[in-house]
Amino acid sequence: MKLRTSMMAAIGLAFAATAAHADINVGVTVSATGPAASLGIPEKNTIALLPTTIAGEKVNYIVLDDASDTTSAVKNVRKLISEDKVDVILGSTITPNSLAMIDVVAESATPMISMAASARIVEPVDDKKRWVFKTPQNDAQMSTAIIEHMTNNGVKTVAFIGFSDAYGEGWYEQFAAVADVRKLKMVANERFARTDTSVTGQVLKIMSAKPDAVLIAGSGTPAALPQKAFKERGFAGKIYQTHGVANNDFLRVCGKDCEGTFLPAGPVLVAAQLPDTNPVKKSAVEYITKYETAHGKGSVSTFGAHGWDSGVLLAAAVPTALKKAKPGTKEFRAALRDALEGLKEVPAAHGIFTMSPNDHLGLDQRARVMVQIQGGAWKLVK
Amino acid sequence: MDFQIALLLAQDGITNGAIYALLALALVLVFAVTRVIFIPQGEFVAYGALTLVMIQAGTVPATLWLLLGAGVLAAAVDARGALASGQKGRLAGVLAWNVGYPVVLAALLYLLPLATLALPLQVLLALLVVVPMGPLMYRLIYQPVAAAPVLILLIISVAVHVGMVGLGLLFFGAEGSRTPPFSEARFELGPMMVNGQTIWVIAASIVLIVALYQFFGRSIYGKALRATAMNRNGARLMGISPALAGRLTFLLAALIGALSGVLIAPITTIYYDTGFLIGLKGFVAAIVGGLASYPIAAAGAVLVGLLEAFSSFWASAYKEVIVFTLIIPVLLWRSFTSHHVEEEE
Amino acid sequence: MKPVLSVRSVLGLFLALLLVAPLVMPPFYVTLLNYIGLYALVALGLVLLTGVGGLTSFGQAAFVGLGAYTTAVLTTATDLPAWLAWAGGSPWLALGVGLVFTATVAFVLGSLTLRLSGHYLPLGTIAWGISLYFLFGTLETLGGHTGLTGIPPIAIFGFELTDGSQIFYLIWAFLLLAVFTTQNLLDSREGRAIRALKGGMVMAEAMGVDTARSRMVIFVIAALHACASGWLYAHLQRFVNPTPFGLHIGIEYLFMAVVGGAGQVWGALLGAGVITIAKQWLQDLLPRIFGQSGNFEVIFFGLMMIVILQRAREGLWPLFARLVPVKATKRTLDAAAAPLPRKPLPARGDVILEAKEVTRKFGGLVANNAMSLTVKAGEILALIGPNGAGKSTMFNQISGVDTPTSGEVLFLGRPVAGRGSRAIARMGMSRTFQHVKLLPTMSVLENVAIGAHMRGDKGVFPAAWRMDRAEEARLLNEAARQIERVGLAEHMFDAAGSLALGQQRILEIARALAADPCLLLLDEPAAGLRFKEKQALAELLRKLRGEGMGILLVEHDMDFVMGLVDRVVVMEFGQKIAEGLPEEVQQNPAVLEAYLGGVE
Repeated sequence: MKLRTSMMAAIGLAFAATAAHADINVGVTVSATGPAASLGIPEKNTIALLPTTIAGEKVNYIVLDDASDTTSAVKNVRKLISEDKVDVILGSTITPNSLAMIDVVAESATPMISMAASARIVEPVDDKKRWVFKTPQNDAQMSTAIIEHMTNNGVKTVAFIGFSDAYGEGWYEQFAAVADVRKLKMVANERFARTDTSVTGQVLKIMSAKPDAVLIAGSGTPAALPQKAFKERGFAGKIYQTHGVANNDFLRVCGKDCEGTFLPAGPVLVAAQLPDTNPVKKSAVEYITKYETAHGKGSVSTFGAHGWDSGVLLAAAVPTALKKAKPGTKEFRAALRDALEGLKEVPAAHGIFTMSPNDHLGLDQRARVMVQIQGGAWKLVK
Repeated sequence: MDFQIALLLAQDGITNGAIYALLALALVLVFAVTRVIFIPQGEFVAYGALTLVMIQAGTVPATLWLLLGAGVLAAAVDARGALASGQKGRLAGVLAWNVGYPVVLAALLYLLPLATLALPLQVLLALLVVVPMGPLMYRLIYQPVAAAPVLILLIISVAVHVGMVGLGLLFFGAEGSRTPPFSEARFELGPMMVNGQTIWVIAASIVLIVALYQFFGRSIYGKALRATAMNRNGARLMGISPALAGRLTFLLAALIGALSGVLIAPITTIYYDTGFLIGLKGFVAAIVGGLASYPIAAAGAVLVGLLEAFSSFWASAYKEVIVFTLIIPVLLWRSFTSHHVEEEE
Repeated sequence: MKPVLSVRSVLGLFLALLLVAPLVMPPFYVTLLNYIGLYALVALGLVLLTGVGGLTSFGQAAFVGLGAYTTAVLTTATDLPAWLAWAGGSPWLALGVGLVFTATVAFVLGSLTLRLSGHYLPLGTIAWGISLYFLFGTLETLGGHTGLTGIPPIAIFGFELTDGSQIFYLIWAFLLLAVFTTQNLLDSREGRAIRALKGGMVMAEAMGVDTARSRMVIFVIAALHACASGWLYAHLQRFVNPTPFGLHIGIEYLFMAVVGGAGQVWGALLGAGVITIAKQWLQDLLPRIFGQSGNFEVIFFGLMMIVILQRAREGLWPLFARLVPVKATKRTLDAAAAPLPRKPLPARGDVILEAKEVTRKFGGLVANNAMSLTVKAGEILALIGPNGAGKSTMFNQISGVDTPTSGEVLFLGRPVAGRGSRAIARMGMSRTFQHVKLLPTMSVLENVAIGAHMRGDKGVFPAAWRMDRAEEARLLNEAARQIERVGLAEHMFDAAGSLALGQQRILEIARALAADPCLLLLDEPAAGLRFKEKQALAELLRKLRGEGMGILLVEHDMDFVMGLVDRVVVMEFGQKIAEGLPEEVQQNPAVLEAYLGGVE
């Protein structure tokens, strides 16, 4: 009895301050702590840069941290939907969390824009996933870019070393599938953990298989460890990284050992080097300027740009939805979903989005460029 | 696998094993003297390394604020104790050590051109910031419950670990860092190249182990610690304060942890949460030694390092499973060597 | 005066509130209550394991994972191997499979780690917690690190529990069922054995309790609770991946149990509630105070745990219970219960105990050197000697607490040295301890009832489902009878720790008698007794002797010994220096020398 009253009081206190309901409410859950914090923090910072009015309507962002944990992600989404009555959910940062959220958003008919990579989040578009969109390029798209680059440069055999988590796993599946099609031979497949202190064993194993090139699938600074180990052991082949490393901390930690490394990335990474005719450039440069104004020079990362792109998609879809219904209603959420699905040629920081009922990602070849690390900076490979 | 690969793996395993050995020694020491199973040992590794990184980047390390905060808190607690027991004379000392020291250190850190200092000075400053957290931690967290059962102390240790990792993320951010190596030298040793830092790690570990051995064998403090480890009540009767012994132990543990961090920061990337798994592997080693024997613990550490290196070669996805499953046969062996029903503490 | 409520009315109110909660509360509150229920189920297992049994586990989250993954795989896989195909598709069958599987895994892990004392177990749990977590992530059939989607909802008679407020009832039904069965279990013969694990293992073994088995029992029960929670979790979440089953969540479960009050069944619910709600609250509050991103909740929880363990080690439940004044339920004894059957006593005058040349060395120290003695049925033998003569060591050799280095101990004609105190107790030897070993927070009645442990046989399931009440009444009656016999009737329901030291010694005698022994070993029973109490004790011992019991007694109080016993054995420096009738021994020069220290 007492438990209940004190609990009610505690809960009451917890929700004493909820947002007003007349505006457009955007619920955000990102992994700002836990293992995926290096991805989630820039995303969280980016949300603060998103427009606060769209088509004259005020937009409230309610940002929650899910600590890279699926249970918390689902709890956050339930809270955002039932307490904050949000019109759309942005997030989460990582694939497992996004997958776990699908049931909840579908059940309450709320559109969701994920910032996680795996194609499984939006494919195939079914009864539930019709509510789900995502902004990051599929690993398959990125894999194709790497493999094209490899085959063009005479690579016949390739080895893989990736994170022992959903990121490494997703990459391996996609990469192996595309490599198989392109007749590229996979000669080794190894795993390492984010906080491992040594990858000597894996590196030696890979080198004894004598691949022409190796792909390291990790995100952020941890991806530097295998690369440094390969250099130390005198590996002569090409080294590829994934777009997961595209932040300046990686360059800082990896230093000269990463010179010459190739990686696919969203164009935002090399926005300044893009020709002015590239439609991505405007949004990408705008994002970089805003982010670096707020957080200092060189602080920008491509992960934050996925958050930015979700904001761009919203800004493009909301005006259409507003014509059909008022925010805060079931109708508005449905209209917003339809509007998102109907987006055509929307330029954002990572590419140009063209959604369709079968494609809830909407990015094409323009959403990736090959980048090489030269002189401690990202250089666009023309 | 050919002979050269085996050699390289062995070298890798021994390097890691040397660090695990240091941590295992600290863990055995802390347990023997205070009965605390010191889960946060690994956090000192990360704190030490990342504090050095911040100093090298020319910024005042964020850990300084933790030291200041803990110092003020400890001063408050001690001052209250001194006033309550009417020992006003102790107040000055209490304030000088707990508050004065961090303030002086803060002044130093603000005034010195941190980024351009010589490496040994940077290392020294990093240690000066991190190491005193050990005794402060004992004073604030463990001393009030020094007589509690081992299990309570263990749960407190886990809570401290959780808190320190949270603070670590706040202080250092989510991305990892490295420091430049102590020496860029490379040596040719038979068929393989050994880099200078590896030699540093192994040599420093051996020196530290020998130094500890000397400390316990020769110095009066070392003997006092040993006496406390063997019999707390007896030590008290001999005029050895358990509180002093506890602080001294934690000072050593923090020193060993921070120094390990400084040693490995050039050969691997350190994150705010790196410490836990390193510390746990030290634990596996310490358990091999029954949390009592220093030499067996050190040997266990090398075994853990080698097992890790070779399993990362054979089955990298299962590496952690293999390393942590090692503990089971060890525990089993321990269970067959103990016969009688014993009372838990 | 505060209003006092009965347990029944408080519970009734609580149940009524639970029943209406999903109907009146906003959906997110129901979601929170669902999670609280799930967490509390795991924490309850930890209360039993850690709070009651003194075994700490950081690895419970891995057992939650076993339950969740078993059902996830069985209900989503399309190509189960033939031998498992029967269990596919149905969450309820998957629950059964999961429970059996978890029990098996827990049994194996338990056999590996439970025999270890103290801190090895928690460290072991950390190790297998990590191992199982990585296994979940590495095995491809389990969906790897990415996870398994499309887990169906649970259906009850064809009605699918798709909504949070529907599964709410199932979760809380599971939790309440677990709470009540756990409470029942703790209030039973098995339960007393379990409660003796924390701080009373040597005593429990001497009373014939198989402590290793009791440890295994609670370990498996805690694992099963966790498994059930995982099953519910999988069908609530409809998705599983390894992160909710990692070590950090295991740590959180333990925090819940400790915060709530690790020794209290309802503390699990309180702990789960406080931590879950505090987390939600902090998630909103802390970023507003500190602004930037950081793991503030975790820092806060770390600090909170430290403060709670420093200041209120019993957790929040005792503080909470003080707010709700609940009338204590008074235990009643069923006088009509049939008395327990008794073992036939050996014929008066038969030798029941014979120690031959018993030697016990501790390193270089010889604590017992070629000690021999015999005790007959219907006789009181005193073992006396100055401090440090080795009397208690001799007691330990005889009662099986320790094993002699050499020599032989025959009890009822069979060699018992090295057989362990439990086996010896079962044969009919019962003892008290020089340093009183009882469970201070349990009542006198319950402490004595531990002595009667061997005389019942109802196990865990009958206890949990209250099918043991007839036997329980007989056991308690027997305990009550022995308490009256030793003159502690007025303290029957008091906490044993509240008695004076002398009374606690008497309590130990009652406990030993409840075991229905033919040989009683008493270690300094008269120490701390007043004159009247000594007289009463002597009277009791004479009466027992009269009934044909053999008694071996270590005692310092010569007046007490000399007026009571039939024969005396005198020890010094681990050796027998004299043996005979009391009056003979008193005149023996060697004895005088030993006691008076060679007065010249």
